[in-house]
Amino acid sequence: MAFVTEEFRVKAEKICAKYPKRDAALIPLLQELQKESGYVAEEAMDELARFLDLPYSRVKAVVTFYTMFNREPAGKYHLQVCRNISCHMAGAPGLLARLRSKLGITEGETTRDGLFTLSAVECLGACGAAPVMQVNDEYFEKLDESKLDALLEDLKHGKYPLKG
Amino acid sequence: MPKITLDGKILEVDKGTTVLEAAQAAGVYIPRYCYHPKLSVSGNCRMCLVEVEKSPKLLTACSTECADGMVVNTASDKVKAARRDVLEFLLINHPLDCPICDQAGECGLQDYYMEYSRARSRFPAEDKVLRQKRRALGPHLMLDNERCILCTRCVRFCSEVTKTAELEVMERADHSFIDLKAGKTLDNDYSLNIADLCPVGAWTSRDFRFKQRVWFLKKAPTVCLGCATGCLTEAHHNEGEVYRLMPRPNAETNTWLCDRGRMAYKSLRAGDRLVKGFIKNGLIDLEPALREAATRIDEAKGAAAVLGSPWLSVEDNAALALLAAAMKTENVCFDFKFETGIKDGILINKDPSPNAAGAALLKAARGGLGLDEFRARLNSGAIKLVIAEARAAALLKDELKASGARLIAFATNRGDIPAGAYATLPYASYFEVPGTFINYQGRRRAVEPVVAAPAGVKPLWEVLNKLAAYSGASLRLDSAADAMKGME
Repeated sequence: MAFVTEEFRVKAEKICAKYPKRDAALIPLLQELQKESGYVAEEAMDELARFLDLPYSRVKAVVTFYTMFNREPAGKYHLQVCRNISCHMAGAPGLLARLRSKLGITEGETTRDGLFTLSAVECLGACGAAPVMQVNDEYFEKLDESKLDALLEDLKHGKYPLKG
Repeated sequence: MPKITLDGKILEVDKGTTVLEAAQAAGVYIPRYCYHPKLSVSGNCRMCLVEVEKSPKLLTACSTECADGMVVNTASDKVKAARRDVLEFLLINHPLDCPICDQAGECGLQDYYMEYSRARSRFPAEDKVLRQKRRALGPHLMLDNERCILCTRCVRFCSEVTKTAELEVMERADHSFIDLKAGKTLDNDYSLNIADLCPVGAWTSRDFRFKQRVWFLKKAPTVCLGCATGCLTEAHHNEGEVYRLMPRPNAETNTWLCDRGRMAYKSLRAGDRLVKGFIKNGLIDLEPALREAATRIDEAKGAAAVLGSPWLSVEDNAALALLAAAMKTENVCFDFKFETGIKDGILINKDPSPNAAGAALLKAARGGLGLDEFRARLNSGAIKLVIAEARAAALLKDELKASGARLIAFATNRGDIPAGAYATLPYASYFEVPGTFINYQGRRRAVEPVVAAPAGVKPLWEVLNKLAAYSGASLRLDSAADAMKGME
């Protein structure tokens, strides 16, 4: 499967043009790739490296540095629970435990129906509304168990409109 | 030019000089891991922290440019404490395997720990992050991620010097480690420099590992004869054995050394090392081999020829010239022209021989035929016997084969002998005897012996002296330098 398609190239050239150097477009292009296929595959890193004329190792280093890049296909909804100090104190461990038992998966895993991927992530920068969970590109704040259950139900039934 | 005060001394330095460089020039050593004079500044190891007046925090000496009026202190209590703390961090996940680590004895962590820390670890051994050990990455290198302190010298070497960019730091923070593409090997022509660069035991040479503890090694300066670049090197040896070759960094020729050059010492103890003569395919002692060769030379009389060699020292070429004179033959050639220049932009030369310029000295002093004329005479049958060093003879192997001329070759290793040589006489390698070589830049380099030659193996000038004696002439040589009489 080719990730850097003709269509992608056209889009990528436009993104590259925004920066003084092509290499600078690496992160936006990785985000673009992830948006299209839900993750950044090994082959995608290879193809992108060739496209930007960067060594493969450089691309791989950037992808592995940022935990926001998924290296494996994620489920339709990527549940990212903040585990840093404010959220931790406001009850994030309880939320994580609840998600683990309700979904039957642990962090880094995807449910068998491909609907949910669960991750514990570092600070989401919304301490004021702790505990916070990011689903795909959207934040859900001041969560508690009942809010979480309701959200899961909505997501399961495709009720909640999500961007991206 | 900025003036700075460093530990009370006033130094005047060029603009752009870093504090570390200024200190080094003034003889003040600042500890460092990630800094390397020939690589870009990274500033990640924090070992070179120094105190600069008016700066609220300590600064890294490697990345701080000297500014006029700067007052630097490299030995204050604050600096000492910082060094101790940095070492504690660097050693947090470092395994306790010094007794089985091949870097022990030349390890930056050991040395600095003894010099700057000596503190007991506050981190229990069982809490250390474990990583993959002993990964053979490429033909020459072994990687132990657990010992790595992530200074990124290897990463910068691959991206800045060889420009192959195989290595990178993968993952982040506590998870990070050095890696390359899955399934790829670290196989560039300069990979072994990484083992030298690595300040700790993360990268070690697969060739040198566990062969010898480094504190037993003695160091002898020598020169690489792998090509016309003529890199300055250092042979590390013990009890008559060479264990490894390292570069001797110098401004004229080389900072690094190529992998092939490093392996040159292998020929000394290779299975095909010649310690006896060869007649056709049979091993024979040196004396009878010399007698046999001399008989054939006498037979050929005026149709005998002597070929110099760009792989031999100036002195040994001069001895060959004397042999030709003693044989009263005009068929002598010291004319070797190779295209010279650095082939890969780093070190490897287009000219594969170390001494074409040295052979040219002989041509200038003693005359002789051009190589094409020599070739023509060989093809026409005017030359019936050629006396030559094996690799030089290999340059004419097609002509030798076609004309059926006899070849009396000198070789150190059997692998060098061209097929069909009539007789081969062993001679001592330039790790074992002295000689002068002139590199592609015209720099004269004297090679000094590092180890002794195997019993019975003589320097080439001595072999030639004996060969002449067997055919009734005398070269009157008592040393390599004797052959140079009347030349300089």
